[in-house]
Amino acid sequence: MKRILFLRGAELLVFAFLATIPLMVVNPYALGLLTLLAIYGILLIGLDVTVGYLGQVNLAHVAFLGLGAYTAGLVVTKLGLGLVPALAAATAVGLLLGALLALPALRLEGPQFALATLSFAALSTTALNELESLTGGAQGLSLSRPALFGTTLTPPIFFWLCLVLLALVWMVMRNLLASQWGRAFEALRDSPIATDAMGVGTYYHKVAAFSLGSGLGGLAGGLYAFNFQYLQPQSFVYELMIILLLGVVLGGRKSLWGAFVGATVVVLLPNLLSNRTLFHLFSGAGFAVALAAGLRGLVKKTTRPFQAFAPVVAMGLLAIGGFFVENTEDWRKGIFALMLFSVVVGLPEGLMGFLAIFLAKLFRVPPSPLPEPSNLEEVLPQHAQGDGPLLVLEDLKRHFGGVKAVDGLSLQVLAGTIHGLIGPNGSGKSTVVNVISGLYTPTAGRISLRGATLPQGSLTRVARAGVARTFQNLQLFSELTALENVMVALKGVYRMPLPLVLLGFARTEERRAQADALALLDLIGLKDQARTRAKDLTYGAQRFLEIARALARKPDLLILDEPAAGLAHPDVVQQIEIIKRVHARGVTIILIEHHMDVVSELCDQVTVLDGGRIIAEGAPDEVKRHPKVIEAYLGQASGPEASAAEPQPA
Amino acid sequence: MNPSIIGQMAVSGALMGLVYALIAYGFQLTYATSKSINFGQGELVMVSAFFSLTLTNLGLPYWAMVPGGLLFGALLGLVVERTGVRLALEQKSEGWILLSIILGLFFFSAAENIWGRDDRPFPTPISADPIHVFGVDVTRLELSVAVGVFAIMGLIELFKRRTLLGKAFEAVSADRDAAELMGISATRTVMLSYALSGTVAALAGILVSPITTVGPTMASALILKAFSVAVVAGLDSGFGVVLIGMALGVLESLASFYLGSGWREAPSLTLLILALAVRPTGVFGKAVIRKV
Repeated sequence: MKRILFLRGAELLVFAFLATIPLMVVNPYALGLLTLLAIYGILLIGLDVTVGYLGQVNLAHVAFLGLGAYTAGLVVTKLGLGLVPALAAATAVGLLLGALLALPALRLEGPQFALATLSFAALSTTALNELESLTGGAQGLSLSRPALFGTTLTPPIFFWLCLVLLALVWMVMRNLLASQWGRAFEALRDSPIATDAMGVGTYYHKVAAFSLGSGLGGLAGGLYAFNFQYLQPQSFVYELMIILLLGVVLGGRKSLWGAFVGATVVVLLPNLLSNRTLFHLFSGAGFAVALAAGLRGLVKKTTRPFQAFAPVVAMGLLAIGGFFVENTEDWRKGIFALMLFSVVVGLPEGLMGFLAIFLAKLFRVPPSPLPEPSNLEEVLPQHAQGDGPLLVLEDLKRHFGGVKAVDGLSLQVLAGTIHGLIGPNGSGKSTVVNVISGLYTPTAGRISLRGATLPQGSLTRVARAGVARTFQNLQLFSELTALENVMVALKGVYRMPLPLVLLGFARTEERRAQADALALLDLIGLKDQARTRAKDLTYGAQRFLEIARALARKPDLLILDEPAAGLAHPDVVQQIEIIKRVHARGVTIILIEHHMDVVSELCDQVTVLDGGRIIAEGAPDEVKRHPKVIEAYLGQASGPEASAAEPQPA
Repeated sequence: MNPSIIGQMAVSGALMGLVYALIAYGFQLTYATSKSINFGQGELVMVSAFFSLTLTNLGLPYWAMVPGGLLFGALLGLVVERTGVRLALEQKSEGWILLSIILGLFFFSAAENIWGRDDRPFPTPISADPIHVFGVDVTRLELSVAVGVFAIMGLIELFKRRTLLGKAFEAVSADRDAAELMGISATRTVMLSYALSGTVAALAGILVSPITTVGPTMASALILKAFSVAVVAGLDSGFGVVLIGMALGVLESLASFYLGSGWREAPSLTLLILALAVRPTGVFGKAVIRKV
């Protein structure tokens, strides 16, 4: 509670201070800067959604600013409508075009995504320039600021309007990012495959996030239009995009405060460049900070030599170059580049990320306490005693080119059992799991769960049908805490529609989700490490956490893909214990495992694969003695008894 | 519409498309070894062209200037690799996207201040007089572009196939970890690929400058189209870039004729977004199987 008060207090203080400035200072220039600060604040919060939360380099944001600005301008000049419809239209254009661009572009990762957004930005500049009859082309578009509900928007009033909108955006985004939506954004950055496999649609969330960020870009564009009252396509080009990126990265990604600090820097930059003394002061300070931080990093061995030296060289170049260059304005781009370079290399968390760590140490505000764990019966209801087959595979095939990884597999998994799936490396076990869980589409065959056909080729839809899985190569959301990892996957808790989430009505739901997730962490013995980030957990604990996360889906069928792989003996014992506990809840389990002792101890039934086909089936002890199994594991069996046993049907 | 005009535009468009293909080929070289590309490649093209112009102004003959310019391009490629790419690759992050954009911005600013903001002519001994071939006019200058593009691509491909170093290059492209275990330094191979990519960029600058003139912004439109070609063809498409490059070149010269020159860039950009939507790995790219 103290923490909340502290953070909210700081926010209130800053906004209140900003709001009172026009009452104290009557300086049109300063007021203009403040207005711009509020507008860029909204813009950068929008950009941070893609750059920070989705972790993608988005080069189209400046285009949404421009498109929003022109939309607002045209709504006022051509349609003669007022300020509110203009801003609404600007936001809507951002949202819509954002979604349209995101639909194809977000199927891509990294460089291709950056290229697609870059192309979009170039295309929209071309359109603004060439659609002369509408936009006035390179001549520009002049507009006047309409009145708002009969009030003339004088500069101070317009500033207050922008500030109120910034506060609203701030509040709404804070609510959104603290909810399941925010967690999903972060989860899909860490592992898109696991996000899908946990029934949280990766693609859907990505498109929504991008569209939302672009919508904010559009809104900022609308305000931009009314602020400057004159628009030109050249204003919304690559260079501004770089400055915006500088703002987000310098301020600190994944942080509203970071966006605000970034906006401040962006607004003040031109002044910094035109005032020589200010520039010397600033670049000198930057050099000192880079030097101190670099030396500290080297001594403490927390950074690589390059990370320590490069920012010092870059800032040094800036500081020394400042004395030799005739006009700093001419080197504007170079200066941005050097600053941005230093920050990206030396301070990847940005100013706010750096400050946050520092402030946390200084004030030691404890995080709000976690609720009591829910009753396990509510989180993972006891399944009724099983009868008959739960999962049925019929003649399942999956070929990769000429490789028949799975070649005609028919299998029944009885409800309430632990069904082992074993076989030598390359026998097709993992492919079977990947086909069932929807990562691969089967080449042929049918899969049904409780008699109903299971969706094919979609991790999300399979997960929603009641199948959960773990991953052999861990796919945890490494930046999220253990608790959040489980919370992302929780099924049936998040019911609040998006508009209400935005207004902050999801808090009760959040408490419930925390309690439920804690119950599952308790089940696997990680309750005490709920707030530890997944990447900081021990390897064994990470394996356990994969199971807890899968259980959050309340699955009918749980697929464990080598849950004991790489575990030390004590952890293997604990893992067996955990799987027994899960089984006691009546969850049907498919277990893929190489440790034969684990298989023997846990499984009711075992299927042995080799070359994509079943070579043996039965109870663990029968299967272990089966000659074909011995042959598959140990190579060609020698001796007369082996060949005599050969004709046995598999 | 007069077919000979269409033919004329198709031919000059296709020749221009070869330049896009050459730059796109530079992306492929680094993408193969490190799955990264230099977003500031356009600035490499431009700065190398300016440098070559300076060499010429210093009195160097054309044929001595070309190797000098190429060497400079290779050096710039190495600078980009060291300062912008290596750290990000070590951290397995995509920080190189932002860092290479930043380096490009710095090169741009440096060029603006060192060589000025104006476009300048680039002298060349190759004649610009048209030759008539099947009713279409082609200049020797335009043909020299085609010759240069195919020569360097052929040389690099030969190098990759015939020399030990080239085979190391292919090995790292195929499987970085396995190559490292066989004693091939992946870091050095990535450096080599960036040096080659820089060389290719410099050649693109030298070839195109006599036609377009040299200026800080000479490559900003060029690079967008090279990106389109690389992505539409696929970043691992090999010679696919040549076909796509020429097709795009034709398309844009027709577009600028029918829609107006302001819309020149529109077809390639639209095509890029569409291609990504339909086939994210490119027309000639290999589809990837997701593994877990």
